[in-house]
Amino acid sequence: MNAEARRACFQSTTLPYLDRLVALASRWSDGDQAEDYVQETYARAWTAFHQLRDTGAAFPWLCKILRTVANERRRTVARRRDLLFITELEAAHEEIIASDAPSPLENLLARLEAGTLREALRSIPEDLAEAVELHDLHGLKYREIAQVTSVPIGTVMSRISRGRQLLAGLLRLRDEEPARRVAMQGNGE
Amino acid sequence: MGIRGRQQVHPVTEAAFQHARLQELVAPFADGELPREQKRAVEEHLRGCERCRCELALQRDLSRALAREPIPGASAGLRRRIEAMGGPTEDRIERAFPWNRRWASLALAAMALLAVAGTVLRVRHQASRPMAQIPVLRDALADCRRAMARNFPRKADLPALAEGLPFPIPVLDRPGVELFSTWKTTLAGSPGAGLAYRWRGIILVQYTVPIDLIRQQPGVGEALSRAGFYAASELGQGVVAVVAKGSGTVLIASAPPEELRRLIL
Repeated sequence: MNAEARRACFQSTTLPYLDRLVALASRWSDGDQAEDYVQETYARAWTAFHQLRDTGAAFPWLCKILRTVANERRRTVARRRDLLFITELEAAHEEIIASDAPSPLENLLARLEAGTLREALRSIPEDLAEAVELHDLHGLKYREIAQVTSVPIGTVMSRISRGRQLLAGLLRLRDEEPARRVAMQGNGE
Repeated sequence: MGIRGRQQVHPVTEAAFQHARLQELVAPFADGELPREQKRAVEEHLRGCERCRCELALQRDLSRALAREPIPGASAGLRRRIEAMGGPTEDRIERAFPWNRRWASLALAAMALLAVAGTVLRVRHQASRPMAQIPVLRDALADCRRAMARNFPRKADLPALAEGLPFPIPVLDRPGVELFSTWKTTLAGSPGAGLAYRWRGIILVQYTVPIDLIRQQPGVGEALSRAGFYAASELGQGVVAVVAKGSGTVLIASAPPEELRRLIL
C-alpha cells in the first residue's frame, strides 16, 4: 500500500471515532488536555496502523491506546466528583429493587436532563464507570471491553452489572435529596 | 432509609444459591451477551423471580438512557490536525518546526484549512450544482455525519427498519459488503432508511427514499433520465444516487463514485 492509500485507509478507519474518543478522554481530563490525549492516541495509532488486523475492530483498538496514553499521563486516578459511600448506593439500589413498580427507574429517568447520567458516572468507582461507559455510551461488546481494559470477561459482566446498580442508587439518592431537605426543615432540624 | 419487601425473600436454600448465581447474569442477559444455555437458565429464573425481573428492567432502562446521552465532540482544530496526520504537509512542518509541536500544529491546522477551502472552491467550480443545494443529498450527508459521530446505531434490524416505510429497501448484497447498522431518518422532509455497511475497511452508508423524491431533486432527476445515475464527489466523499427496485437509493463513502456505482448498478 503506498503512503497516500495508507493515509486514506487510516483516516476512513479511525476518523469516525474521533468524537467518541474525545468523549472518552474527558473521563480523565478536561478540554485541551483531553484533546491532547486524543491527538497523542492518533499519533501512536498512525505509527502502529499496520498492526491493526481487523479494521472493523478499530474503535476498541483506539480505546486501548487512549487508555494507555491517559494512564501514562495522569498522576491521579480519574476526575472523581463527590465519590459517595458505596454502602449508601447499595442500600438505595436495594430499595429500588424492593419497590413494586415493574420499571422502577422509568419516571426518574424521564425527568433527567441530557448529560446528567454521564456526569453521574463520575461519582461511582472508576473501574465500574469505565465498563458501563464503554458499553452503554460507546457501544463496545463485553469481549471488546475485556480487551481494552485487560480483564477477564466475567469481570466485565460484574462491573457493568454493579456499575448500573450503583448508578441507579445514586440517581435515587439525588432524586430524594430535595424532598429529604424539605422534610428536615419541616421537622425543625 | 428503609428496605422493604422482596429483599429478604430468599432463605439459604438451593433456590437462594441459584438466585445468587443467576442474578449476576441479569446484566449480560439484558445486553444480549449470554451464550444460549445461560440465557435459557436466566429466562427460566426470571419467570419465578420478581426481584430479578425488577433488576432486569433497571439494567435495561439505564442502559437505554445512557445510550441516548449526548457526547462532546472534537474541536475543529483537533479534527484538522488529525486529518492532516501522515500527510506531506505534516512531514514538512515536522521537519521545519521540530522544536515546537504546538506551533507546528497551529501551522498545520492553518494549512489544512486553506487546503479544505481550496478544495471546496475547486469542487464548486467544477460541479454544476453543489450538493448543499440538493435537499436529499444535503440532508443525507448531514445525517451521515451525525450517525458517524454517534458510532452508528448498534444493530442492523431490517424488519424494524421496513416497518411503516412506504417503499422497499434494497439491501446491498455483494461479496465483502457487510451490513452492521440500520436506522430511520428524515431526508428533505420525507421518511428515509439509513443502512451502514463495512466495505474494504471503510464505512459505506446507504439511504433509501421514495422514488418520486429522488427524481424531484434538482440536478439528480436530469442525471437519472440522462444516464441512469447521479454521481458526484465532494471533499473526498463519493456520492451516487440511483433508482432501483422501486426506491431511490443514495450511497455515500470515502471512495470514487465510479466504484460506488459498480456496487449498486
